[in-house]
Amino acid sequence: MSKQVAFEVTRELEAFVIQEAKYADEGQYQAWYDLWAEDAVYWVPLKDGDDPAHKASHLYDNYSRLTTRIKQLNTGNRFSQVPISGMRRVISNYEFFSDTDDKFRVEANFYLPEYSIQSTHSFRIWSGRYTYVVSRKGDSFQIHSKKIVLVNAEEPISTLSFLI
Amino acid sequence: MSASIDYKHLIQADKVHGSMYTDEAIYEEELEAIFYSSWVYIGHESEIKKAGDFVARDIGRSAVIMVRDKESTVNVLVNRCSHRGNNLCNEMDGNKRNFSCLYHGWVFGLNGDLLDVPYPDGFTKDKKDHGLQKLVTDSYRGFVFACFKEPKVSFDDYLGNGKKLIDRACNLSPEGEVDLTGGWVRQKFDANWKMLPENDTDGYHVNYVHQSFVQVIPSQYNEFVGGEDTNKGVIRDWGNGHTEIDFAAGYVNTLDWLGSTVEKSKSYVEKMHAAYGEEEGERRMFDGPPHSCIFPNLFLAEMNIVIFQPTSVNSCVQWSTPMFLKGVPELNFKLLRQSEGALGPAAFLLADDATIAERAQKSLQAGTPWCDLSRGMDREIVREDGVKESRMSDETSNRGFWHHYRSMMLGEK
Repeated sequence: MSKQVAFEVTRELEAFVIQEAKYADEGQYQAWYDLWAEDAVYWVPLKDGDDPAHKASHLYDNYSRLTTRIKQLNTGNRFSQVPISGMRRVISNYEFFSDTDDKFRVEANFYLPEYSIQSTHSFRIWSGRYTYVVSRKGDSFQIHSKKIVLVNAEEPISTLSFLI
Repeated sequence: MSASIDYKHLIQADKVHGSMYTDEAIYEEELEAIFYSSWVYIGHESEIKKAGDFVARDIGRSAVIMVRDKESTVNVLVNRCSHRGNNLCNEMDGNKRNFSCLYHGWVFGLNGDLLDVPYPDGFTKDKKDHGLQKLVTDSYRGFVFACFKEPKVSFDDYLGNGKKLIDRACNLSPEGEVDLTGGWVRQKFDANWKMLPENDTDGYHVNYVHQSFVQVIPSQYNEFVGGEDTNKGVIRDWGNGHTEIDFAAGYVNTLDWLGSTVEKSKSYVEKMHAAYGEEEGERRMFDGPPHSCIFPNLFLAEMNIVIFQPTSVNSCVQWSTPMFLKGVPELNFKLLRQSEGALGPAAFLLADDATIAERAQKSLQAGTPWCDLSRGMDREIVREDGVKESRMSDETSNRGFWHHYRSMMLGEK
């Protein structure tokens, strides 16, 4: 994916990522889930470049498991998110790539302070690199994959049952 | 042990005091009495197949390296230069010809021997006395345990019935071996480490902590929720602090524990029949893996291996990796995804366990609370071999953990 992405399209892609982040921050689970395509891969690897066929990940969801994840959150009894963590993530340093007119890769850094109101009542800091692959769907986009490489991916990490 | 902490009072047959989870002095004493004076689990031989292969581990606050040397011996070495204390190896795993210190260039062999000191004329001491600290090491079916000091109890006596539990895991492989090469997920808990082995063999919490899991995910655990009269799971205290929830009696079909069936896992079933005969192979594939804690820091978590690492009185890390079965690589993808689903920071199960533990850790800080462990005391049975058993919802396993813990803290074991 190396073709230059038109400036107007980058603005659209950025707005889409910001919308996705807002749904995740606010625990709007259904709205967040509706952004996904059926070939979904939602992935937090232990190390960038790991092959999920041979190595475990912090999180590796296909569409079916993503569906289950949302169902579990929606029961209201997923105690690690009852109440939902306080979150407002900041996304920046965007890069946009494309091979075709309707499929794009968006990479960006993120900084996410999480307030663990359901357990320790303390701030936990999450940071890393997002890589989205999205395609046009109607007047918006759908997500095919979102890879989240944490800066501390290889270290012990706290409960990650919110949507990162 | 210090005379100021009255373990006999704080740990009773039917209850433990909240300070056992929150008192820093107790934490320091248990590191010394349990983690630095007795046997602890380190890793598995399959993680270091070739000479020079190593993995880094943390036992409490001590970093160690498990490494295979040129004679194929597995050594467990303290990851700290014998010169000025720098950590030797900053990677979690890899392969090395030797370990050299970045600070002054001292070089150590894979067996810990000091091989080279730069500018040797100025260092006149005998290099033989300056190797890396080496732990006493032993292993059972590839599971490597070690002790920082000359152990008071032999490895066989320490492991005791734990051998049967490790056997149960290995016996699921047609080659009789497990393979731990799937990578380690590490989850941070803001809770005392003892809450992990307690919770992992607590059959009572499943209906409550994991109700969201039970509501949306059909799994092998479905047979083990609901009323305790219909639950066929068995809780067990194997002695030496080793404890278990045995699900076998509640399984309905062969391979329930794998979330599979004989039809769906044909090649595995054929290999097991070929290796052990139909009857024995069938028995192993019906009963499935252990769900058992080996005191103090190993959890045979069905198709996963888990290590508990205390990091402070109020925090610990759970290490988890899928338990691959040697000779059946076709199961690995499924086992990887099942491992992520059950264990680790984003899992459908463990994320909630962590939150519950963290809440308990916070609330136990105040006042002088007691935690009750009496459930099932009047109905548990003692088998002829001394093993205690009761209903899955009983606290027999937790009493077994604490009984052994107490004897170690009192210096009896």
